[in-house]
Amino acid sequence: MTKLQAKNIVKHFDHNGKTVVALDGINLNVEEGDFICIVGPSGCGKSTFLNVVAGLEKPNSGEILLNGKLISTPGPDRIMVFQEGALFPWLKVIDNVEFGLKIAGIPKEERRELSHRYLDMMQLTKFADSYIYQLSTGMKQRVAIARALAMDPEVLLMDEPFAALDSQTRDLLLVELQLIWERTKKTIIFVTHNISESVILGNKVAIFKNRPAKIKKEIVIDYRRPRLAEDENLQKYYHQIVEELKSEVMPHAKDDTQ
Amino acid sequence: MNENTQFKGSHNLHDAANAALFVAAFLGMWQIIFMLGIWPKISLPSPILVAENFAKIIWNGSLPQSIGITLARLIGAFTISATLGILIGFTMIKFKGFGKTLNSFSAGLLSFPSIAWVPFSILLIGFNEFGIMFVVIMSSIFSIMISTYSSIRNIPPIYLDAARNMGARGFLLFRYVTIPAATPSLIIGLRQAWSFAWHAIIGAEILMSIVGLGHILSVGREFLDMSQVIASMITIFAIGLLVDRLLLYKLEDKVRRKWGLDLHR
Repeated sequence: MTKLQAKNIVKHFDHNGKTVVALDGINLNVEEGDFICIVGPSGCGKSTFLNVVAGLEKPNSGEILLNGKLISTPGPDRIMVFQEGALFPWLKVIDNVEFGLKIAGIPKEERRELSHRYLDMMQLTKFADSYIYQLSTGMKQRVAIARALAMDPEVLLMDEPFAALDSQTRDLLLVELQLIWERTKKTIIFVTHNISESVILGNKVAIFKNRPAKIKKEIVIDYRRPRLAEDENLQKYYHQIVEELKSEVMPHAKDDTQ
Repeated sequence: MNENTQFKGSHNLHDAANAALFVAAFLGMWQIIFMLGIWPKISLPSPILVAENFAKIIWNGSLPQSIGITLARLIGAFTISATLGILIGFTMIKFKGFGKTLNSFSAGLLSFPSIAWVPFSILLIGFNEFGIMFVVIMSSIFSIMISTYSSIRNIPPIYLDAARNMGARGFLLFRYVTIPAATPSLIIGLRQAWSFAWHAIIGAEILMSIVGLGHILSVGREFLDMSQVIASMITIFAIGLLVDRLLLYKLEDKVRRKWGLDLHR
């Protein structure tokens, strides 16, 4: 069953009086329970696309359908995990996890129970009463994931959530995220510029073309889980994506030297 | 944790010792200059003469009374100023064009000397409590408006995005994200506005009042009583320092700690 559908999404930005086309007709179908990774060179518009799906940015044309219904505003059915976590420094860890539940008007008892369950899942129970600055970057991202899962969204959106982590922490979270996905059966759209990350996580990988962004190709990765970073058998998928991206990275690199 | 408090304790002791040393050095210099006899005793009394005057004005009740009146006026005026200033600041956020215009307008009034409001206030309201409070309000409200406005505008957009993403809108977004996110910088603004208000009240009392700290300062001048002038000045200094350190700075420090903003080494 199709969970989320992006139809011909176009997005322009005005940059110093010039119009930059960030998204040039994106079409994407996400099935229920999909773990779809969007990979592409930096600046290709993949984060913009995720913001459009989240409803944080309005597309110039095109539409997003969730369960067949048109959506145009942000909503707790599509929860985003941001690159920098975007946790609230004035709240304790547990209150951060409960934030969305509080906004939704869920009673305190129930909120506590839910937040403890997800803090437990992310192995953060000990830090429930800490403030955000007391956590490491990896712990912050765990809190952000716990906060997102507590909302029980229809679709989980992840915008390069592991980009700022050291490689050990990232490898650990890559495995944990797969386990969580298998356990919760969540539909996940995961944006990354890291090809091996996309190969490890996705059951589908959508490759974004460079500016203006279009989806160049979608590949299916049907391979057992949990997949580990060092698994040799993932290499062929990795190289397949590298080949697709090669022609994209080159003109982009030239662009940057101007 | 324990180590931390211990460290803090010895830190405070160290600060107190430094402060005491500084005060002692200051009094010593003052005494030496007094003994050199450059100025007549009436123009520059010794620290002991000032201390005697202090004892006198405390004993006859004029100093405690003046402090009480001045602080009551100040707190009343500042409460009005803060409430109105913050509300106007919110309105400036809500209506963008209005906010932009009022922001540049207020920036001009921010550097407007508080004393320059006095003649206007005397003619408009008169030599009374409200006239004095008017001067204090006008001297601090623009700073509060501007700092409310800019504190909210400087909130990192990612907090608002994250909150909207989780379904927060309208009042809930304002109450649970905008206000707490703006608080650290809002407190700094209030601290600054408090010092503007403090400048203003002493000035206004010197020119417009028959009671209060500013008044006993000007009485000292009229009776050529330098020791009373200095005693009043020390009182004004001490109150300003105490309020800032014990109240406003503490508040700011508490928020900064919670946010982890004080981890600079």
